[in-house]
Amino acid sequence: MTDAAVTVATETPLRRRKRPRAVFISGIAMLALIALAALTAGLFWPAGPWVAAGEPYTPPMTAPGLPLGTDVLGRDVAAMLAYGARVSMLIGIASTLAAAILGIVIGATAGYARGWVDDALMRFTEVFQTIPSFMFVIVLVVIFTPTIATITLAIAVVSWPPVARLVRAEFLSLSSREFVQSCRLIGMHPARIVFAEILPNCFSSVIVVSSVMVATAVLVEAGLSFLGLGDPNTASWGGMVANGKAVIRSSPYLSIIPGFAIFVLVLCINVVGEGLNDRLNPRMRN
Amino acid sequence: MEINRRLFTLGLGSAVAWPALGGLTTAAYAQSPVMGGTLRIILSEPVGLVSAVSSQGPIAQISPKIFDGLVEYDLDMNPQPQMATSVEMSDDAQTMTVVLREGLTWHDGEPITSADVAFSAMEVWSQFHPRGRSTYAALTEVETPDELTAIFKFSKPSAFVMNALNASEAQVVPKHIYEGTDILTNPNNLAPVGSGPFKFVEWQQGEYILLEKNENYWKEDEPYLDQIVVLLIADSASRAIAFEAQEVEAAGAIPVSLADARRLEELPFIEIPESGYEAYGNNNFMEVNVRREYLADPKVRQAILHALDREAMIKNVYFEFGKVATGPVPSTISTYYTADVPTYEFDTEKAISLLEEAGFTPDGSGVRLNLTLDPLPYGPIYPTVAASIKQQLAVVGIEVTIRSADAATYYQRVYGEGNDFDLTITGASALTDPTIGVQRFFWSKNIIAGVPFSNASGYADPEMDEILESAAAEPDPAKRIELFHKFQVKAATDLPILPINDMPYFAVKNTRLQNSEVSPYGFGGSFSTAYLAE
Repeated sequence: MTDAAVTVATETPLRRRKRPRAVFISGIAMLALIALAALTAGLFWPAGPWVAAGEPYTPPMTAPGLPLGTDVLGRDVAAMLAYGARVSMLIGIASTLAAAILGIVIGATAGYARGWVDDALMRFTEVFQTIPSFMFVIVLVVIFTPTIATITLAIAVVSWPPVARLVRAEFLSLSSREFVQSCRLIGMHPARIVFAEILPNCFSSVIVVSSVMVATAVLVEAGLSFLGLGDPNTASWGGMVANGKAVIRSSPYLSIIPGFAIFVLVLCINVVGEGLNDRLNPRMRN
Repeated sequence: MEINRRLFTLGLGSAVAWPALGGLTTAAYAQSPVMGGTLRIILSEPVGLVSAVSSQGPIAQISPKIFDGLVEYDLDMNPQPQMATSVEMSDDAQTMTVVLREGLTWHDGEPITSADVAFSAMEVWSQFHPRGRSTYAALTEVETPDELTAIFKFSKPSAFVMNALNASEAQVVPKHIYEGTDILTNPNNLAPVGSGPFKFVEWQQGEYILLEKNENYWKEDEPYLDQIVVLLIADSASRAIAFEAQEVEAAGAIPVSLADARRLEELPFIEIPESGYEAYGNNNFMEVNVRREYLADPKVRQAILHALDREAMIKNVYFEFGKVATGPVPSTISTYYTADVPTYEFDTEKAISLLEEAGFTPDGSGVRLNLTLDPLPYGPIYPTVAASIKQQLAVVGIEVTIRSADAATYYQRVYGEGNDFDLTITGASALTDPTIGVQRFFWSKNIIAGVPFSNASGYADPEMDEILESAAAEPDPAKRIELFHKFQVKAATDLPILPINDMPYFAVKNTRLQNSEVSPYGFGGSFSTAYLAE
């Protein structure tokens, strides 16, 4: 998944065709809708998702006020879904932000300083890249006990290397360009060169890579929850699928609904990510 | 066959004669058994095959097929002769005389003698068996006046030993193979020479264990089956499919998920027996850390129990398996169980008023008390129960934070130094005798940091200790029962542990398999009388 992120940014542009604008727009619209559901969950279900709303195992569309039915403990699946969107989006965005910042700092340092600093930082990055990321997340979460914060942190810890490598590559190419050389010539402070001159020029690539990382983070969180390693005190889509698994033969909707939600969210993030790539990647501009 | 009064009175408290062939019910003889055939059962991979050195669940299911016990218990927990033809406990409960059957041999042809019994008791059970270490703690020596007689000497009354003489609690192992070796690493633990109705043939790790009929078994015509193939399948969904496809006949100890069990039960060829697990006394409960000042008041504990709709939990989370527990002794242990104890019906009003009385008033957001809850990290049920408890306690203003953890972290929190927990939802086997299976959770001398399934709640009450200690030492069965009734009343009054439900340790089987639940150990029985109907 992280590999895919790298491919998006480095793929030869000429062979690629721009995706239709409509797909991009509808992706954004769908994401906005999910975000809205997450934000307004508290208005529709002020008591939270952890209350019995009806008879357990009420199928969808059979009881008034319970459009998606209830789960094993009689909780409203629609409420769980809305509150679960909060968790998925929060973890997706927060962990990606953290990973992006970490990746930029390490990549920028390595790319600008070069020499032994670059070598040391890149070997360090490779250590993280050689460990299968999902396994690594599981280990971290088990060690630090699963809460929203530790899961976010664990995902960030495994997702920064692609950003670091990308930023480093951009820095290597940008720092030998004329505008940077002229900055050096006029005696500009290195920090200013890095932050004011080079960094803004590689932001577009970072945004593209990051957008796909959000999708990965959502999937990882769902996977963790499915394995019972999510935060047990929150409603989470992966956790809902895991809870529904036991009764998949008798009440399949309990697995299908949250599973579909994960699918839609990840698909939308990818569509939007690709759309951003089409629009922001300088090599893709016509 | 000798009839022995003491043996029966200790087993049940009522005198019945040993049936001519122990362990068989009359119903079982109503139809004649089918000889031969291969039985396929499912098991999780055991760590060994000898129960004498381990109480691990899968071992307890397979080992009694390879090894006989001194006795076997019938469904009412009356001891039935197996290797021993008589077991007699003296009136002071400090001397137990075991007389072995004549002509018994190990699977390798060596004779089984009282020396094997003495060696097993002194060198194996009291040293290595996790429960045997406490059950046989008072054992000082075993005299062997002749080849068939073993006399157990106890330094204090040990009446409860009579309830722990079967193949999974007190398994006689061959002295000629174990003597002078490191018992825990003896190769016999993995490829045993046994004494039971089935002989070990081979064990393909991760695939199967093959057992075949012992032609020289002491019971004429038994075992009925030619072979038992033990399929080592860990995944519960794969197990359910194997049952559906009729690729396997049986498995014990809650082999599939509860939802799958209810679904499989609908199939015409699948049956879930309603007995054959009484001896496990499986029950679920919530331990409360009474060291915490906010949980020290029994009113708070009573309030928590009043706030829980345990009927609804059994219906929705446990798929209607089991029933609401009244205390730490499950109703399946009929000898010692009493329902005549304080009970706490589902009543949120009462729960709230008890919390008010204890001084817990709601804050701005309606929260009276914040508690953590650690579910035992085995299987998907405990976390679901925890979610259900969180949801129910929120109604009375108790905000619960569930903490999920791996097993090591869980044990460290609940049983480790400092006992860093408020509530834990867990389960245990009460086994056949409260002294063996229940005392550990209530006895103040069993508050031992670092020992799993010890007294984690920190409950220490001199009166409770007195009751438990007298019950353990009491030789008179009737007085023991009385003491255990007193124990249950006190446990339900003080509530260091909140009873949730008695959980059947059920088996799933194909209806072709007959006569498999002839003891309260069910699938942990010898299967010598089990057969496959046409």
